[in-house]
Amino acid sequence: MAWELASFSPGLLREADVEGAEVEIVPAGSPVRVTHVLDAVEPRIRPDGRAAFPTDGRAGEGRTNRLDSVVVLSCLDFPGEERPLHEQESIVDLGGPGAGLTPFADMTAVVLTFSPDDTGHVAIDAEARRAALGVAEEIARGTLDAEPDAVERFELGPADAGLPAIAALIQLSDLGPLYIQYVYGLPAGEAELPRAFDPAEVLDGAVTCGEYHWAAMRNPTWFFQRNELIRMLYREHGKTLRFAGVVLMRGYEQTAADKQSAAERAAGVAGELGAEGVVITTDAGGNSHTDVMLTCRACEQAGIRTTVVLAEETDPQSTRPILTDWVAEADSIVSTGNVEELVEAWTPERVLGGERLLDGSPAAEAGPIPVRNYLGAANQMGQLALSARTE
Amino acid sequence: MKAVHYLNQFFAGLGGEGQAETPPTRLEGAVGPGRGLAAELEGVEIVATLACGDDYFAEHEDEAMAALLEMLAELDPDVLVAGPAFGSGRYGYACARLAAAAAERGIPAVAAMHEENPGVAEAAAAYVVPTAVNVAGMRDALPRLGALASALASGRELGSAGEEGYLARGFRRNYVAEKTGAERAVGLLLAKLAGDTRTEVRGDMDRVEPPPPVTDLASALVALVTEAGCVPQGNPDHLQSVRAQGWFRYDLGGADTLASGRYESVHGGFDVTLANEDPNRLVPLDTVRGLERAGRVGRVHEALYTTTGNGTPVVVATRFGQEIAGELRDAGVQAVLLSGT
Repeated sequence: MAWELASFSPGLLREADVEGAEVEIVPAGSPVRVTHVLDAVEPRIRPDGRAAFPTDGRAGEGRTNRLDSVVVLSCLDFPGEERPLHEQESIVDLGGPGAGLTPFADMTAVVLTFSPDDTGHVAIDAEARRAALGVAEEIARGTLDAEPDAVERFELGPADAGLPAIAALIQLSDLGPLYIQYVYGLPAGEAELPRAFDPAEVLDGAVTCGEYHWAAMRNPTWFFQRNELIRMLYREHGKTLRFAGVVLMRGYEQTAADKQSAAERAAGVAGELGAEGVVITTDAGGNSHTDVMLTCRACEQAGIRTTVVLAEETDPQSTRPILTDWVAEADSIVSTGNVEELVEAWTPERVLGGERLLDGSPAAEAGPIPVRNYLGAANQMGQLALSARTE
Repeated sequence: MKAVHYLNQFFAGLGGEGQAETPPTRLEGAVGPGRGLAAELEGVEIVATLACGDDYFAEHEDEAMAALLEMLAELDPDVLVAGPAFGSGRYGYACARLAAAAAERGIPAVAAMHEENPGVAEAAAAYVVPTAVNVAGMRDALPRLGALASALASGRELGSAGEEGYLARGFRRNYVAEKTGAERAVGLLLAKLAGDTRTEVRGDMDRVEPPPPVTDLASALVALVTEAGCVPQGNPDHLQSVRAQGWFRYDLGGADTLASGRYESVHGGFDVTLANEDPNRLVPLDTVRGLERAGRVGRVHEALYTTTGNGTPVVVATRFGQEIAGELRDAGVQAVLLSGT
């Protein structure tokens, strides 16, 4: 299947109103701190009128338009009484030292700050996700009458059978409300995972994010739309490897038996794709790391070589790198950085999303902030270049 | 800026093996190899040399260390330099121990020795500059030792071990790599498929071997322990929802069930709404009481142990476990039902 992604100038950005939210357009590189960030979305619209974030199972075909260098940041502080996740601070710094931890600092940011009502966190979240994805589509509408600056074509042609076949095995979280990534609008736990997808589906809005836990280890929607791993595998297809496909699987399977079974089934799907090697990616922390390790072991036992992408959670004063879980088969791991390290203090000129952090302190004078609170900074899909090394 | 230099009795010119029992001694200025080192320092002066016999340090470490640290505190240097000790195990050990103690007290410290000197393992947060195995490497070692000592005294933030020429201390530090994680992952995977397996981080897990099964549960004292953040309603002791600072013990008072409204979870790592509708699903007291009545477990220990397992550093969690296990052992508990979330 072939899919085209057409890029358009950020100058085509249309303004949009959102009911229940303030909308502010922030120029690239502004000395602004954005707090309580739920999701980051690239503005996309389809000329054929189909949804940019489809729920009908048909992404990755035809053409999709994107606004280059623009990101929608949706921000929401769940009402205190309702706050079900006690530590979910999520910051994007568009300037200062934190700007090095995000791909969004050199983009125009469309910041939506929601004022939640009292309908409960599940309903509040559903409305915020719907609105953010809707705005991302609406503000790209200007591209429909314009000429693209560039068009990328995603299609896997024939490749030398002697090249190693590589698949991406991407973990999606589902740990209940506010901790869910969605596949075609369905929670990962209800999307009959693990199964194979055309890689272009992932790049074309099939996966969206509603997972709001440790900010640094999240994969917001933008990371799927612009997925570096999938794009890299497309680029290398026919050169250094054969891109065998994408397997999506769930993290946070809830019983030991389910975890083992999901790991073995994921290895089975990778085997059906003919993969000789898989890059296994991770979302969030805690027991999703056990899912990844069991999947690594299951793949290796099935004769499929693995490289795992993980963040570290090491006490900066300790000399022992801390991984939440580990199996001996995980002998090839990419570290996306240590989330416990502090990032130098910075005083922004403005704060959007909410003046106070979730702990009540003023966001403008937060002092050094741990990496863990920066959205996607140590994401475990390999989207960014942060890493940790022994010194 | 001021440096203090540590040497053993031999390099300090106090004598050879026969003088290895020399207790800590303070000498003014640079002595022996310190003169060569002084020429390599930038903006730093060696104000004093501390010397100690290798045997004395090895045999009276506490006294030697106390005396040396007292001298060091009086001198209040910007950097402590120890050695080079080359391949000498006892000298290397003393250099590393003193440097580690200085670093722990906030005095930047660097020792120099051969990378296989057993002292390297004792340096903790202090830096170690690698040298040749014997004194023939002095000329090569001093410029590198001087450069690192000068950098430390200046307070400059040091780069990686490779860039600055010290042995990796084992601390994990973030940096921005040249390639994205995705590119590095594909690179590592292709290399692994070609027979060259490499990793950016090694798992180093403290594996807990499961104990043998309880032979007679029907006569065992069984305790309930949880990291689910389950506390009496209102969280009277302020258990943290994340990065817990401690654990708590609550008397069950013979209760049959963890009633909703009397217990709640303050865990910050998942949506607690459903759990709080029935806290027994966090800590299954209702089920265990049923087993107790049916004679399938001997007796339920009347204390619930609880903490929040969410972002807790491993060293801290290990301490919680040891403390709780100690109390359970003293209470004669033979089996534990440990519920996690």
